[in-house]
Formats: sequence, structure tokens, C-alpha cells
Amino acid sequence: MPGLDTSLSIAVQALSANQGALSVTTNNIANVNTPGYSRQVAVLNEAPTFQESGITFGGGVTLDQFQSVRDELLQLRIYEETQQQSNSQTQLNSLNQIEGTFSDPSQGVGGALSAFFNSLSQLSTNPTDTNARQAVLTSANNLANSFHQAVSSLNTIGAGLDQSVPQTVDQINRLTSQIAKLNGQVAQMRGLGKDSGTTQDQRDELIRQLSSLVNISVTQTEHGLTLTTANGVPLVVANQSDALQANANNSVLEHVYSTQGQDITSQIQGGQLGGALQIRDQVIPQLLTHLNNLASQFATSFNTQHAAGFDASGNAGQTFFTPLPSTTDAAASFGVAITDPSLIAASSDGSAGSNGNLEQLIALRNQQLPSGANPMDMYSNLVLQVGNLGANAQADVNASNLSVQQLTDQRSSVSGVSLDEETTNMIRYQRAYEAGARVVTTVNSMLQTLMNMGVGG
Amino acid sequence: MRVNPNMSGDVLAAIWQTQSQENTALQQVSTGKRVNVPSDDPLAAAQMIGNQDQSKRADQYLQNIDTLTSQLQTADTALSSTVQAVTQAITLGVQGSTGTLSAANRQQIAQNLQGIQGQLVQLANTSVGGSYLFGGTATTAPPYTLDSASPSGVTYNGNSGTNTVQIADGLNLQTNMPGNQLFQNSGGDIFGSLQQLITALQSGTAAAAETATNQLRTAFDSLTSQRIFYGNAVHQLNSTQTFLQQEQVTLKSQANNLVGADLTKAATDLTRAQTAHDAALAAAAKILPTSLLDYLK
Repeated sequence: MPGLDTSLSIAVQALSANQGALSVTTNNIANVNTPGYSRQVAVLNEAPTFQESGITFGGGVTLDQFQSVRDELLQLRIYEETQQQSNSQTQLNSLNQIEGTFSDPSQGVGGALSAFFNSLSQLSTNPTDTNARQAVLTSANNLANSFHQAVSSLNTIGAGLDQSVPQTVDQINRLTSQIAKLNGQVAQMRGLGKDSGTTQDQRDELIRQLSSLVNISVTQTEHGLTLTTANGVPLVVANQSDALQANANNSVLEHVYSTQGQDITSQIQGGQLGGALQIRDQVIPQLLTHLNNLASQFATSFNTQHAAGFDASGNAGQTFFTPLPSTTDAAASFGVAITDPSLIAASSDGSAGSNGNLEQLIALRNQQLPSGANPMDMYSNLVLQVGNLGANAQADVNASNLSVQQLTDQRSSVSGVSLDEETTNMIRYQRAYEAGARVVTTVNSMLQTLMNMGVGG
Repeated sequence: MRVNPNMSGDVLAAIWQTQSQENTALQQVSTGKRVNVPSDDPLAAAQMIGNQDQSKRADQYLQNIDTLTSQLQTADTALSSTVQAVTQAITLGVQGSTGTLSAANRQQIAQNLQGIQGQLVQLANTSVGGSYLFGGTATTAPPYTLDSASPSGVTYNGNSGTNTVQIADGLNLQTNMPGNQLFQNSGGDIFGSLQQLITALQSGTAAAAETATNQLRTAFDSLTSQRIFYGNAVHQLNSTQTFLQQEQVTLKSQANNLVGADLTKAATDLTRAQTAHDAALAAAAKILPTSLLDYLK
């Protein structure tokens, strides 16, 4: 039969176990708003039993460990969706800026083209009118400016994204070095059989931040996690991190290099960095090519027809738009070659009053360029392209926001701190502690009784 | 079953979503436009480019029509005066063909006719804004000059060129008729017959004067039939103007269909979005603050 002192020591164990469990609750409540925190539970176990006089007695309770509650697969899916989300969001932000350039249908290159053809039409009613000739040159220059503006606004957006590349790479390197450090600690603690919950929470939160910057692939190894880019360029292996480098060595644009010096710019597709590179290297060049084709093809066909006519002095028409026929920067360098209004080749028969060539020039409005569309349709195709890109990015953002929200909810339902639950636990531990304390008092009073027996009262 | 204990994320997402719906509806109601940036409706935005171009073309065609109407009316007025002057010349020619007239009287008539000849040259040199209307496409110099050495008494400095101006899609209107086709065509030569009449009165016989007068009559008939060109052109301008004004209305309504907001629907959407937003806020206010702690005293 165990003695009273055994009961006393079991009661004291109960006090300390419940006090310990209460401290887990306290910690959970304290971290209720900490991003990435996984709730912990106190793992209470029965203490080893002991036998006396053939009877097995319970040995009380032990607080074995604090364990954090997590679902690592869910965590991986959150990384996956986060890089998708921040990729689409980055693209959407840039596309919204790009759209601004093309949002007013009566302005921009389209509006300037209409105005230019209208000025030719106006001149055709009186081809010798100097004011109307001057108006043609003015609207031709406006057309040139509208090309320049469209190009420069696209380039400005591209340059902004380009500047963000080294900044993002810096952030990535900072995160990977922190992750590597925490990764080492987690592996070490696991090796010692300890729960690495808090460290793991911090590491996972940093990986989540990293996945919003770049697409990563996470593999679990015995030495902790291995992080690589989606194409296998190592970022974190055990407690070592490999820094990426950004520089603009051989080109005007920033490129991203692995530690080994391999250019991995085109392989980066996810996250903020992937989104920025996608817009900078794919979308903007594609739109610029479209503008350049329009500028170059329009200028070529206009110049050809202009050369077929005669100016106010009866001389053959000169080059009207410059320069030609380069298509690589046609929109940026689009210019008007003539400054003297009398050089506009309005006439088809050499006499000043003829407007025959103007009629031919105006007809270019409806003629197909080599691209297969007339100038205005080519421009509206560009607007369609911009609009579709924006609409698709918006849909991607909505979809990935929803997935991230759902996954976060799921994660939270596993790992999130519930104040109600913690309050309940608090009451449970408090009551258990109270009861334990009552046992101590009772045993104490029993011992007192025992002492008094000895006095023989 | 354990559920997500932290509602704030979901609640905020719901509030943001209803707020963004409210903003969209409000933007549609306040701008009256459904498509404000191309991504709102890429196809409609692209079609709007074409619509705006069409509408600007129509504006320009209408402006062309105004300019041309004034040019053509000036030309027609000049021709109307020409017709009057030639009529007067024919009357004088009939007088001069009378055999009983004295040489002095004939000289007198010939002098009157020379006055008319000058007047006709002046009318044939009518210009608008420095551009001569009857010189073909040679519009910078007066098409007719008096020339006593020429059998017709005048020299034509113009050419036979004509201009056309686009006044609607696919519709080019001829805007001038060269002087040599108006006054001196195969049907008759106003200046030539007039010069012959003057010569006959100055030094010829009454019969010669009569022949010349008859030639002038034929030329007169030819001129009046050529003049119909201007009447037809002005008529064509008027009917095209009406057509273009209608087209502008059509284009505006097309634009409205493409990018305009259906105001009834937008206003209903706004009310609905407001209600949804209010509901989300009310739900948040009810759910977020409650916890077990409220019930433990």
C-alpha cells in the first residue's frame, strides 16, 4: 500500500503538469495573431505504474512535451499557390499600368491615325490651302508623338520592373540565408528528438515569403528541407544557402544568375520575380513589336504612295515618314521627314490644284498592310491583346486569391489558435490544478492527523 | 471537427469583395460606362477603336461637305451670272443681225458685246480662297485671259483635270468641271461664238452676225446642260449630309451598346452591392468580437 507521501508526490506532479499545460495555453493565446504560428498542445501522459502488495497503482501524470500541430503537405500547397498568386498579382499591377496607355479609344495612336487621315481629307477639299497643308504636317507629327508616347510608357513600365529585379533578388538571398540557418536548427533539434515547432514555424513563414518572390520546389531530406528553384537550381541545402545574383553585365536588362554563374533568367516563372520578368521579357516586347510593325508598315505604304504623287511645285513626292524600313525601333524613331507644307505630294498630275494623290493616300486607311489588316484594325488588335492580357491576369489573381484563402483556412483549421479552445483548456487546467492543490491540502491534513496520533491526545 | 478558428481573413475577404463590387457598380453609374479600361471587355474596347474612327471620319466628311457646298454654290452662282450675260449677248446679237441697222449702231452693239466678253472672262476666273474654280486642276492662276490674237478672243490657261473628294465611305464626288469643258466643248464654244459675233458686227454682214448668234445659242444650250453638273453635285452633298448625320446617331448608339453602362442595371447592381456590403459588415460586427470569454464571468 503506497504511503501518504506517494499521494503527495503524485499531487505535486499533477500541479506541475497542469501548470505546464497552462503555459502552453498561455503561449498559444499570446501568439494568436502571429503569422505562421502553429498552435501547440501539451502532451500529457500517465506516469509509470508501480505495484505493491500485488496491486497496480497509477503513478500520476507527466508532461512529456509540447507538440505543435501542423500539416506539412498543406504547407507545401500553400507555397505553390502563393507563388502563383504573387506572380499573377505582379503581372496584373503592370498590365493595369499598360492598359492606361490604351484605355481612351479616341486618344493615343488610334486617335492620332484618325486625325491624320482626316487632315488629309480636309486638304483634299482644297489642295492649295497652305493652312490645310500645315494641318497635315501637324497631325503627322502628332501621330509620331503618339507612337513615341506609347513606346516610352511601355519602356518606363519595363524599366521599373527591371529595377525591381535586383531588389527582389536581394530579398530572396536574405530569406534563403535565414531559412538555411533555421533549417539547420530544425534538423539539429529533430536529431535530439525535440519538438522544433517554433523554429519550424519561423522557417515555414520565411519559405512562404520566399515563395511569393520566386517559384521554389521543396524537398524533405534527413538534413532538413532542400529548396531549389522550379528548375533545380539549389537555393537552400541543409544549413547552407546559395545566393542568386542579378546584374546587367552583357545586356541593358538585369539578368539573374545562380551561384555557379548560370543565367537562369528565363527559367524563373513564378512569384513576384517571375511575374516581373514575364512582363518585362515577354509582354512588353510583344506589344512593342506590334507597335513597331504598325509604325513601319504604315510608314512604308504611305511613303510609297506619297512618292507616286507630286508636291505643290510639281516635283515627285519625297519621303514623308522616317526612318525606314527598320522594324526593330520603328515606333520609337517614327518621324516626319518633311517640314515644308508645300512638299506634301497631293497632286497626281503635277498641277498644284490636283488632289488625286491625296485620294490615294486617304484610301490607305482601308487598305491591308503586309500584316493583313488595315492600320486602324492593327491598332485595335493591339488594344484587344492588352485587354485580354489584363482580363486574364485579373481572372488568375481572383482564382489564386481564392485558393490561397481556402488553403489558409484549411491550415488554420489544423494549426490556428482558437481562443475558445484555449479558454476551455485554461479552465480545464485551472480546475485540475485546483483539485491537485486540494489533494495536497487533504493529504496534509491526513498527515496532521497521523502526527497527532503519535502525541496520544 | 475542428474548424478554422480565425474568421478575420474570411470576413475581410468577404468585405473586400462586396466593396469591390460596390466600387465597380458606383464607377459604372458615375461614368455611365461599362468599359473603362480594355480589360473590362477586351473585344468591346477593340471595337470602340473602330467606332471612334468611323465617327471621326463622319465628322470629317460632314466638314468636307460644308467646304464643298460653299465652293460648288459659288461656282453655280458664277455660272448663273454667265447664263444671264450670254442671254443678254444673244439678245444683242439678234438686234445686230437686223439688216436695217447703221454701221455706227452695229459698232455700238459690238462694243456692248465686248463688255460682256470681259464680264464672261471675269466670271470664268471666279476663285474661292485663291483657288480658281474653272481651271481644271490648274487652280493657282486665272484660267482665262483676253487675247485678241486668238480666234476665240481668249486663251485657256487651265487643264482638263478634275478632282474628286471623298464625302462618305466608298463615295467620291467630282468637285469641279474644267472651263474648257464648260464653256468650250464639242456642243458649242461660248467665247468663240461671241468673238465671231463681235467680228461680224464690226466688219461683217448681217447674215454673218445671224450665223454667229445662232452658234452662240447652241453654245448657250450646251453650257446650261453642263451646268446641271453643279446642281446635281450640291444635291448629292445634301443627301449625303443627311445620311452622315443619321450614321453619326447610329455610331453613337453603337458606342453606347459597346461600352455604355445599362444605367438601370448599374443602379440595381449598386443597390445590391451596397446591401451585400452592409450585410458583410453587419455579420463581421456580430461574429468577430464574440468568444467564450464573453460568457465566463
